Order: sequence, then C-alpha cells, then structure tokens
Amino acid sequence: MEAAAVPQPKPPVVRRVASAVWQNILWIGLGAWVLFYLVQEPTSTLDDIKTGISNGTIWALIALGYTLVYGIIELINFAHGDVFMLGSFVAVGLWTWLGITAGSSVIVIILGIAGVLVVSMLATGSLNVMIERVAYRPLRNAPKLAPLITAIGMSFILQNVGALWHPLPTSVPDLIGSQRTLFTVLDVDVVRSDVFAIAVTLPLLIALLTFIGQTRYGKAMRATAQDPDAARLMGINVDRTIALTFLIGGLLAGAAGLIYALYNGTIRFNQGFTAGLIAFTAAVMGGIGNLKGAVAGGLIIGVVQSISDDQYGQQWTEAVVFAILILIMVFRPDGLFGEEVRPG
Amino acid sequence: MTEKENGTLLEASHVTKTFGGLVAVNDVSFKVPRAGIVSIIGPNGAGKTTFFNTLTGLYKPTTGRVTFEGRTITGKPPHVITKAGIARTFQNIKLFRTMTALENVQVGMQPRLKSGVVASIVHWPTQQREERNSEQRARELLDFVGLKRYYELSSNLSYGDQRRLEIARALGSDPKLLLLDEPTAGMNPQESEELRGLMETLRSERGISVLLIEHDMRVVMNVSDHITVLDYGEKIAEGKPDEVRTDPRVIEAYLGSQA
Amino acid sequence: MSGAKSRAPALRSGFSNVRNMLPRWAWMLIFLGLAIAYPYVVPDLLGGGAGDDLLDASVNTLGYIIMALGLNIVVGFAGLLDLGYVAFYAIGAFVIGWLGSGQFEKVHLDFITDVPKALPGLHINFVIVVIVAAAFTGLWGVILGAPTLRLRGDYLAIVTLAFGEIVPRVFENWEFVSNGRQGITPIDRVYLPGVGELNYPIELTGIYFVGLAMVLVTLFVNIRLRDSRLGRAWIAVREDEVAAAAMGVNLVRTKLWAYAVGAAFGGFAGAFLGAYRNTVNVDQFEFGFSVFILCMIIIGGMGNVAGVILGAVALSMLDRFILPQLNSVPDAIGLNFDLTAVNFGIFGFFLLVMMVLRPEGFIPSTRRKLELHAGEVEDAAADRSAEVAPGEPLYEARH
Repeated sequence: MEAAAVPQPKPPVVRRVASAVWQNILWIGLGAWVLFYLVQEPTSTLDDIKTGISNGTIWALIALGYTLVYGIIELINFAHGDVFMLGSFVAVGLWTWLGITAGSSVIVIILGIAGVLVVSMLATGSLNVMIERVAYRPLRNAPKLAPLITAIGMSFILQNVGALWHPLPTSVPDLIGSQRTLFTVLDVDVVRSDVFAIAVTLPLLIALLTFIGQTRYGKAMRATAQDPDAARLMGINVDRTIALTFLIGGLLAGAAGLIYALYNGTIRFNQGFTAGLIAFTAAVMGGIGNLKGAVAGGLIIGVVQSISDDQYGQQWTEAVVFAILILIMVFRPDGLFGEEVRPG
Repeated sequence: MTEKENGTLLEASHVTKTFGGLVAVNDVSFKVPRAGIVSIIGPNGAGKTTFFNTLTGLYKPTTGRVTFEGRTITGKPPHVITKAGIARTFQNIKLFRTMTALENVQVGMQPRLKSGVVASIVHWPTQQREERNSEQRARELLDFVGLKRYYELSSNLSYGDQRRLEIARALGSDPKLLLLDEPTAGMNPQESEELRGLMETLRSERGISVLLIEHDMRVVMNVSDHITVLDYGEKIAEGKPDEVRTDPRVIEAYLGSQA
Repeated sequence: MSGAKSRAPALRSGFSNVRNMLPRWAWMLIFLGLAIAYPYVVPDLLGGGAGDDLLDASVNTLGYIIMALGLNIVVGFAGLLDLGYVAFYAIGAFVIGWLGSGQFEKVHLDFITDVPKALPGLHINFVIVVIVAAAFTGLWGVILGAPTLRLRGDYLAIVTLAFGEIVPRVFENWEFVSNGRQGITPIDRVYLPGVGELNYPIELTGIYFVGLAMVLVTLFVNIRLRDSRLGRAWIAVREDEVAAAAMGVNLVRTKLWAYAVGAAFGGFAGAFLGAYRNTVNVDQFEFGFSVFILCMIIIGGMGNVAGVILGAVALSMLDRFILPQLNSVPDAIGLNFDLTAVNFGIFGFFLLVMMVLRPEGFIPSTRRKLELHAGEVEDAAADRSAEVAPGEPLYEARH
C-alpha cells in the first residue's frame, strides 16, 4: 500500500479525552474498584495489594511463558499451566528426596532452595521444549484448531502425571519460615514469602529482558516473532529459536512453581489449570506478545485476585477473573500496552 | 432528477480510506452507470482493491459517501450491500474449497433464498421447492459461465474454471452491479476474450453493470465504456478508453516519468 | 434430500464404497432396527449385572450422542471452536432441576405428572421440560455466543472455555437455584401419559427408548439443517468468512444460529440426563466434560453426522468400561480422589495422537479431509484432470 502520509487534523481536546476514557474504560474501572476498597478499608486493602503483588510475581512469570510463545508462533500453549504445576511438584519432590525440611540448617536450606530452583527450572524448561517438539511442531502448518487440541491433550497428560504423583493436595515444608514478618510498612506486614517471591522474580526478569534485548539469541527471537520467513532467509534457525522460546517459558514456569510451592504451602495436581487461566488473563491484559505487559498484567491480576478473595470470598474470585478475561478479550483484545504479534 | 432517472447506479463521493497514518484511497469520486462496463486501472498498490473493499463494505470509508440506486450504503456491512444488489469476485480466488461448484453458487444465492431455520427443519413443500429451484438456477448460472462440472469440488477445478465459478457465484445474488477484481489474471488470451464476451452478454442480456479492476489492457480498452485511473490512491485520469490511453499522466504512472 | 446429489464423486474411500452399496434410507432403517432391538437382545446376552451396566451406559451414551451432534453444529459445521459446551449441559440439567423436583418448595404446580398432589415444588411433564430446557439453553447459547462473534480462533476457544467455567461457578454459588454443592435431588421420574411413570433404574428399557426418540429428533433436525440454506451458510462461514459475507451471508445471524441450535441440544440432553441420573449437581459440570464431547466429534470426524455418532458411542463406552481398567493404580492404593482427571490423561494422549496422525477423525466428512490434507488433494486432482477423454472440452463458453 503506497501513499504519502497525510497529516490529519486533530479532533478537539474534549473529544480526544472522552475517546481515551472510553477506550480505557476497563482499566479505569479496575482502578476505580481498587481505589474504592482502598478508601473503604485502607489497611486490609493495602495488605491485599501486598499479597497481590507477591502472588502477581507468580502469575507474571507464567504469563511471560504464554506471551513469549504466542508472540513467536501465535499459539496458546494450553499445557503451560501444567508445566508450572510440575515445577512445583519437582521442587517439592527434590526437597523430600534430599531430606531438606524446615528444621534443616540455614545453609542447607539456602543451598537447597537455590539448587532445587535451578534443577526444577531446567526440568520444566526441558519439558516445555519436549512439548513443542512432540505436540506443536508437527502441526505448524495445520489449521489453528489442531495444535490447540493437542495442547489440551498435552495438558491432560501432564495433569494425569501430576495426579499419579500426588493424588491428594500435598503440603510443602515451610523452608523459609514464610509467615515471619520481616518489616512493616504502612501498617502492613511484609512477610518472608513476599520478599522471597520478589527476590527470585526480579533477577529473572532482569535476566530475561537483558537476554531478549541484548543477546543475538534474543534478537533472533524477536526477528522470528516479527516475520519467520524473513528470519529464515537471514540465516536464523527458526526451529531452534522457537525451541529456545519454549525453553525460556518453561524455565520461568519452573521458577513460578517453586515460588508458589513455598508461598502457598500446598500443591495439588490441578493447580495448573486455574493458574494457567489466570496467568493467561494476565498475558492478555498486558497485551499478548508484550513482555512488560505480561508482568504488569500479572501484578494487576494478583491484586485483583487478592482483593476479590478478601471482599467476595474465594469461591467468587475465579468467576471474577474469568469475567475480566472475557471483558478484555471482547472489548480490548490488544490489552493494556498493545499486542506485539506478527502484523497481518 | 433522482439517481434512478439519470442512470447512475453507483456513486462514490470523495471516498478516502486511511489506515493509521497511511492513506490508501484519497478523495476518489466515481460513478457507475446503469448497464455500463467501467474499469479501474492503475499500477500495483494504487489502492484499487482497497477502493473496491470500501464499496462492498469490507472496509468503512474514513470519509466520503457511497450511494447505490440513490440509497446510501456507506459503511454498511457486506451482506447488506450484497443484498442491495452489488456482488463481487476477489483478486485471490476465494471459493469455498470443500463445496462443489453447485453448492458454491447456492451460497451466492443466500440473499435471494428465504427459508429460515424452522422452514428448513420442517422441510415443508415451500422449502423443498425453493431448494430444488435453487439447484436449478445454480445449474443455469454455471451453464451461463460455461462450467459443466456442477458436482465437482471447487478445489478440483482448473484455474480458469475457478475464476468462472467465482463469477457464477457472484451472479447468484441477482446483482445489478458486478465488481470483478482482476478477473483475467492468469488467463490465456483466449480465455480473456471469452470473459470479455461474458461481460458484454451480462450487460446486453441481463442489464447488469460491471465494474472491473484489470491489468489486461486489451480487455480494458475493448470492453470499457469508461475508465478511471488510480495512482497512489488518487484519481489521476478518467474518460473514454481512447482518451485515457493517450493521457500523459497515465503513461507516466505506468512507465515512470521520462527524464 | 438436496444434499445427496451435490455430494461430489471427488474422493472415494473404502468406507464410502461400502456405504454406497445401499441407498441411504436403507442404512438408516437398518441402524434404527438395530437400535430398537438392542435393549432387548444385547443385555440378555451378557446377563444379569453386566447387562444392566451396559444398558445404563447406553442410556448415558444416548445423551452424549445428542450433545455431540449439538456441538458438531458449532464446531463441525460453523467452525467455531467451543471449549465451554459443558455450560449448556449444566443449564439444561438445572432446568429440569427447577421444573421437575421439589427445589422451589414455596410453589406448588403439577402439570401432566404422576406425583402426589401435595408435593411441593414445580413438577412439569418431562416432554414439556425438555422442550423448555432446549429453548432456554438455546437462548443462553445466543447470549454467551454474542460476545465471541468477532474473536479469532484461539481467543474464541479461551472465551468459551471461560464461560464454561463461569456458568457452573455461578450455579454453585447461587444456592437458591442450585442448592449449592448438594445439588438438586431427587428429580421427578419421567412420566408419559398412556405409558405411566418409567421406573428406571430398575427397568431401563423405557428410558432407553425415550432417549432414542430424542436422538432421532436431534438427528432429524441436524440433517435437515445441514442440507439447507443455513447449513451451507455455516460451512461458508467456516471456510472463509470474508467471502461468505460478500455472498450475502449475515455473519452475525449465522453464527448465533449455530450457537443457539448447538446449545439447545446441549440443554435438551442435559435435561434428559438430569432426569435419568435423578440428581443435578455442579460436580457433574467441569471443563473435562467439554473436552470429552469435543473429542467425540474430533475422533468421529467433524462435520460428519454418522462419524460423530460413532465417536460418541466409542468414547462413551471407552470411558465407562475400558479406562477404569487402566487406572486401577489409585484404587489399589485405596485412595479416593477425582477419577475423571486421571481418565483424561488417556484421553489427552488420544487427542495428541489423533491430531498429529489423523486429524480428520476416523470417518471424516469429505470436506474435512480436504481441509486437512489440502496438498495431497491438489496432486490427486491434477492426476484426475489428465483422465478427461481427449476431444471432450473441459468447458464451453456461451455467448
């Protein structure tokens, strides 16, 4: 399409503001909702916000996995939530196997957590790569229905594995003394698990952004996301780049799984399904394909979830999050920061 | 004088279509007369198909107005415009590949068939008759364009046959105006000639106007009453074939300016 | 039937060679005869408890067939990937929970039923209830489908999934209509004037025939719609929305009709199963069920009515009889947990293998085969056009 760009006269300010408000009505609504409870019950809402942010890091890590994969092959990795679940399971399994409990010495615990973090991340990373190889790659040119179905199939297989491993909800040793208050801010107790979540997530995010932005592998990922054919023509190994994307998504899901295990105290084989949908909501909220958006979305959803749990009860929270998902996908599918997917 | 009386079937007034900051069609005004054959030509990327798309409702014009038989159709959805009497074919053939030729044409007849859900379920005589008639009529349309293989899957037809089928399908809705987007692309000279004849027949036997996007100059020059030339989204010339053929701006657009 | 003649001779397979040995109506009569004879003959062959088990599974299967045919309209015909079909099952089941039980104790209304007059609650005749359930659920199909109309494939799937989760969740928390986690029970027995009240689960033949009749109605509607103007519109929309709209197909209305009819069958069967199982409980409605029904049409061959029925029968029997054998591990340990999640691991494997190896299902419609193996078909067509006899023109132009 060729034509000169013709400068268009800008509509009056009032109209622009009104249109901007209407376009962002969802976010404004959410903000107002949070503000409402903040004003009504400041302390407990602040506490919810704190919990929400900590929880949100978990969702953010999982959401990044969704968004990275969607950005590069325009596919919703339905099984991603279950990869997260297995991350939790692997972590707990390793701690049990190594005999690390809450009573172990501090050094053992620190090394145990760090070591197990690395191992479970690698485990979930490899799992994700295997999933891509087995379930998605053969169907790369099939109509979109097919890989979605295989993804569901994969999700069920993984849940089955989880169900055989831990049929009942299993408790996680409280290795970090998760409820011990570290400091208090604005009347809100910041406990160890909050700090732990941030302490693990922040370095990972920085590493991720550096990797994507600065290394040539990251550039290859971005190029492939933009235009796989052009990328191929420039000598980028598209298959390997896609595998790398899945690897990274899997690594992050594994970290999320470990954080979740320690933060939540209990793991169950169907935690992946709900977590997956929540994290996917976060990814869409931020704009699918958009990394910063996934993180922002994760935090926002975490806060929404916390406040909803507190005000409406846990049984309604799922419905609330799904309602938000539907609203976003119907009215504002490009999300908060705009999609970053292949043009056209 | 109303539109109907002065013989203008379709009128586009100052139609502009922008995508973000990109102006694909810029202030194009255009008329198609009753029982006329009109062509739009221009280099690739001139905005011809985009213009078509604004006429048929696929795109909403950013500014401007489109009227058909005096009624405004600007921005109406495609199926409403088709029902009003405008049908089209596509530059890249968009047949329903898993349907037979006959079924494709029957889909084209959607706006003219009336049976709803209840009628279809109950299958009473009115609906049965309508279905039989639709099959009959579809066969007639296929005959008209020269396709005998009614029950062949559309994806199995030769390229030329597929192009013909697209036209038959478009004719299914009993249009008064047929928009053809590069109908002779990929055809050999003989096929192009036949298509030209088809267009003339449509006009003379059925009173259907044809609006054509075309690159094959022989066809354009021989069949058109009137030609409009677009370049960079703007109308740079229009007139009878002889006038356009010798217009220096047209020559420049196609060949690039002489040093 | 207008569809029969326009079925192209383009693709021949072993299956269609067998199929073409008899006219279509003959096949249908044969299968109908078999279906009618079935409850009298087969369970006796097995005898005793096993026979009853089989008949029980068969009645459930009839319900699933209806649902599979319903979902087939949405996914198979219109190409709208719906992962939340369980919502319609739930709605239909709750309709009979409301209209055929003591749930709404403050009201007293009996209509063509056999229940004691003094019994509180709404007790409407079964036949009326299933029709109401179908209509009500169809309406909800439109309501839940409307927001999805402009979504692309995978987003559509997720939104329908979300709806499939929200609806049971709402029911669960809204005690007044659902009785919370306890569910609504008992549900009135099916009462047919002239026949009396059916006493399943003791005597299953009666309810089997009710189910069979419902399947036949569903089948009839399905086939009629498939071979109609609307059916063509559905397939056109599935293939190419832009072209369909340009041909005059009203996309919104066509898609909403697909949702409406598909959902209606979900409610139709939901009410039936609710009555048969004598209880309506939110635990019956979860995502796995949506996938279960989806599997049936995928495995059977999307868009193909006979294939879908076969898929429904196969999967239902598999789930009921074969899978429990394979998952004896948790039972051996004596643990009690949600068995369905484990069953679906096997389903998941099936789905995976199916999609990678034969995505068109076991008895695909010719259309679906074409869509999924486009490259191969093109080569075959090239071979065939070489077979046209010399001298026979490939086309004639008429002036």
